[in-house]
Amino acid sequence: MKKLVFVLSFALIALAVFSYDKAKENDKLALALSGQYAKRMADASEKLDELNVAIEKSLLFNQSDGSKKAREDIWRLTSDIRSSIDSLPLDASFSTAWNNYLSRVGSYAKDAERLSKPGEFENVMAKASENLQVMSTDWQVATAGLVDGNYSMNEWVERLDANNKDVEWSQIGNSVKQYTESDFPLTASESDAMKKKDLKNMTDSEVSQDDAVSIFKQIFPHVTNDVIGVEKSQPGAPYPFYHIRFTSNQTVGYIDITEKGGHVLSYLADRPFGEATVSFDDMKQRTEELLKKAGFRDVVFEEARENDNAWHFVYVRVEPLHNAKVFSDVIHLKVAKDTGEIVGLNAAEYIRKEKVEDQPIVKIDWKTFFNKDVKVEKAELAYVENEQLIQRLAYLLTVTKENSSGIGTYHVLVDSETKEVIKTEKLF
Amino acid sequence: MKKSIIKILALFILIMGLYGSAVDSSKAFSARDLGRGATGDDVIELQARLQYISFYKGTIDGKFGYGTYWALRNFQEKYGLPIDGVAGANTKKKLTSVSEYNEKFVMDNLAKGNQFTHYGGTPLSAQVKAGASKPEQAHLPSKYSEQDLKLMANAVYGEARGEPYEGQVAVAAVILNRVEHPDFPNTVGGVIFQPGAFTAVADGQIWLTPNERAKEAVLDALNGWDPSENSIYYFNPVTATSKWIWSRPQVKKIGMHIFCH
Repeated sequence: MKKLVFVLSFALIALAVFSYDKAKENDKLALALSGQYAKRMADASEKLDELNVAIEKSLLFNQSDGSKKAREDIWRLTSDIRSSIDSLPLDASFSTAWNNYLSRVGSYAKDAERLSKPGEFENVMAKASENLQVMSTDWQVATAGLVDGNYSMNEWVERLDANNKDVEWSQIGNSVKQYTESDFPLTASESDAMKKKDLKNMTDSEVSQDDAVSIFKQIFPHVTNDVIGVEKSQPGAPYPFYHIRFTSNQTVGYIDITEKGGHVLSYLADRPFGEATVSFDDMKQRTEELLKKAGFRDVVFEEARENDNAWHFVYVRVEPLHNAKVFSDVIHLKVAKDTGEIVGLNAAEYIRKEKVEDQPIVKIDWKTFFNKDVKVEKAELAYVENEQLIQRLAYLLTVTKENSSGIGTYHVLVDSETKEVIKTEKLF
Repeated sequence: MKKSIIKILALFILIMGLYGSAVDSSKAFSARDLGRGATGDDVIELQARLQYISFYKGTIDGKFGYGTYWALRNFQEKYGLPIDGVAGANTKKKLTSVSEYNEKFVMDNLAKGNQFTHYGGTPLSAQVKAGASKPEQAHLPSKYSEQDLKLMANAVYGEARGEPYEGQVAVAAVILNRVEHPDFPNTVGGVIFQPGAFTAVADGQIWLTPNERAKEAVLDALNGWDPSENSIYYFNPVTATSKWIWSRPQVKKIGMHIFCH
């Protein structure tokens, strides 16, 4: 009995010591974390003030080096503040609105020289400066509790709850949204890009639920033994679609088909995979047969990537005018290595077809355009989106440059009219 | 009699030796042609052999990318083979005859995640540096890294391992949609570790070891699939505590998650 009491007492003491140590360790961690958060909040406050000064400085100069330097500071500071905001526990609606506003201030400052009309930069930034001053005060009030050490981490997180009216984060978030709309309204091309993404310009006639199932059965007859269910997209979907779920033997999957026009957005089938038996050429042939069957006749093979169970194929639309690839209109296919079955199709980007325009093609001497050790391996034409979200006809060049670690390969896209380098991408 | 036995034994050993070497050479590479985009052990051998004779200077990782492609073309040019950047039967035969491949050395170092090379003429032991982690044998689109794949697989497994495959791809797609969206951080790591963004980060489940299914789901998302149809949020209506999330326009329900804009 005595032994039992001794063992129990010993266990109890050990447990108490362990719990005490654990609680102390947790306290230390919580303190260290709140210290880090407080530091980042203080940094953000400081940089917010610096940002305001940088904006004011940028308004002093008339397109000169001084202006350029100040605009670079604006871009750098907005990036720094965004990075702080991203790593802080803040109200979700506030941090998303704040991120958006800062990225717009930064991008506008960076591209102002190239994009804005005379006088526009001054007007926009003067308004942004006023709004940032209000924001700066709101931010300091809202974060004072944690920065001054008045709140523990738990208390801070509790205060983020929308029910707690101590700090009206959502109200601050709404103000920032208003600033974004007034200071940086969407440009015509941004608005077009959004409409395209939301398929708002789609004018095709509506298809019924039964029609959608028929389209599915026609393209993928081998997996349509049992349609589990067909649902319409939720009312909040920007483009209505039918969501069809199916099962066939061990395969379970889905296909989304638009209500307007009955276009396949995406299809994916999941099943156990066996040993690879089908050759790459056979798989490629099957993808091309399916694309024809599904009506995607204006696409060409772009690339393929092998993974454990399947190959992922990429096809791009070709614009007949200049026989140019349109990189925004792609189709992805997933092919099982064991049977060669198409287990995935994604045409969401393809059906948002870009409207491209004709554009002059000037000749460019690549020998003088690139450094002498750069070799142009291939030159094609392609339509690609520039920074203003406008589709431009470009030379698509595959170039190589040798260095100590081997041969580096790059895609360089050069505007066919202005010779501007739209994009440079390293290929692996 | 004794001499005859010795002769028979010697002949037997010779035949077995020849048979053994024949088996080894037929084991070299698989039967398939290797071209850009291919992944696997046969690509590892291709890279190692090309490196042995100094045509390939890149990392031996089993992914047939542009580095391997140009190295192979240069090899084909030097040995008078058709220059197509595809390792077919003739190219592989020639490469096997002019190079060596220490499979054990290469595979052991890959398994350990070491940094190493496989150049001929230098002791292999002098070509190894300790590395951090075993590389993934996955071929990703250029704009994504192995780190993205690993982090996303952890996030998908932590957030949605009980969900249907479609739901797991959709969670991965939401992460990528956020990276592209101006309201969110512009890196995969930034999005995943944004405080309060994902429950799996808050409760530590993100550090569970993801299964192959979660990795496959992430691969599909990285390769363009988005069953969430451009959503940037999702929530479980049974467990969600935020009132704000209910105000988001809902797009689709997959398994237990509602996906919204």
